[in-house]
Amino acid sequence: MASAQLRDTRRRIKSIEATKKITRAMELIAASRVPKARGRVLNSKPYTSKLIEVIENVSAAGAGGHTLLERRDPKTVGLLIVSSDRGLAGAYASNIIRLAEFRIRELDREGKDVLIYAVGKKAQSYFRYRGYRIEQAYLGVTDTPGYGNARAIANTIMEAYARKRVDAVEGFFTRFESALTQTPARIELLPITPPGASESEDKGAVSYEFEPSPNEILDRLLPRYVEAVIFSMLLEASASEHSARRRAMKAATDNAEELINNLTVRANRARQAEITTAITEIVGGAEALAES
Amino acid sequence: MAKAFQVDVVSPEATVWSGLATIVIARTPEGELGVMADHEPLMGALATGPVVIEAESGERTTIGVYGGFIQVLDNQVTLITDRAQITEDHAAAKEAAQALAEEAEEDDDE
Repeated sequence: MASAQLRDTRRRIKSIEATKKITRAMELIAASRVPKARGRVLNSKPYTSKLIEVIENVSAAGAGGHTLLERRDPKTVGLLIVSSDRGLAGAYASNIIRLAEFRIRELDREGKDVLIYAVGKKAQSYFRYRGYRIEQAYLGVTDTPGYGNARAIANTIMEAYARKRVDAVEGFFTRFESALTQTPARIELLPITPPGASESEDKGAVSYEFEPSPNEILDRLLPRYVEAVIFSMLLEASASEHSARRRAMKAATDNAEELINNLTVRANRARQAEITTAITEIVGGAEALAES
Repeated sequence: MAKAFQVDVVSPEATVWSGLATIVIARTPEGELGVMADHEPLMGALATGPVVIEAESGERTTIGVYGGFIQVLDNQVTLITDRAQITEDHAAAKEAAQALAEEAEEDDDE
């Protein structure tokens, strides 16, 4: 019966409209968070670049030989993977997980053990489901990461490195290039490759007055550096996540709109068909009456 | 008028203060340290406490600082702090530095 189809179509339109409202709200929320997250990425840059500058100068001045700089033949590699806690962000989480898993296979072929430090529920559940060893998972961090979060993660991996539980640590996160492009990236966290070690020669060694000794300074500088790098990883990943979510939710809203349009056409058609049938019936009935 | 030099105070979250200054007074574990223009290159750790910056204009800024480093090089002073907060006066800076230190410890306990 035509009216059943009409009722059905109208019900679907209503349900899609409700969905559209939700996706639209999520799009707006994500959109409002992007600039904030982006601002935090930019604000953290001066600290990191100053820190790198200082480390360069200090290592040029002759301090060296720190455990975090010491390169050893890696048997176990730690992987710090920054994903998200929630879905609804398109391929955001799966892109970074895919890059990490590719690297895990590569390490596997080289006969190396892998330990996973997962940031975000997505990475945790993905790798746990596939039977990988998850050393530590950090949840509820990715939305608005704080420096304390970075510090906690840095402490854990530096301790594992010092105890030789891991011989190298690599980081996986989504680099925030711009609001439109975010690319999954891999960086080496430990051992620390002294930043710009090759360039420091033309500058010439700075004869610093140290207070306390150069090695003590380096002792304090290097952990800060690891923290800062992890902090910037978290910040960039967070900005990327929010933009990915904004884009995914915008696509969902657009799709809902298109569906609603199509269904409205169908509903109107059904309604018209119903009216036509009714008129035909009335006219037919009247004619039958007139004839008798 | 004393010669001015570039000063940057940065923390992981933001650039706290940046500009030209005539004197910077900071605390290291070994004691108070005053830096004026043409100071010799220095690399030091910062202690928890107030930092005073006198800007070129003569305006004084006090900042409560928790942890970090001070670098003096070619008339550029860089304070890389773990946490920093601009405050009204010297006493407030002391309090702010203490508060930041406690905050940091709480974060580490998490």
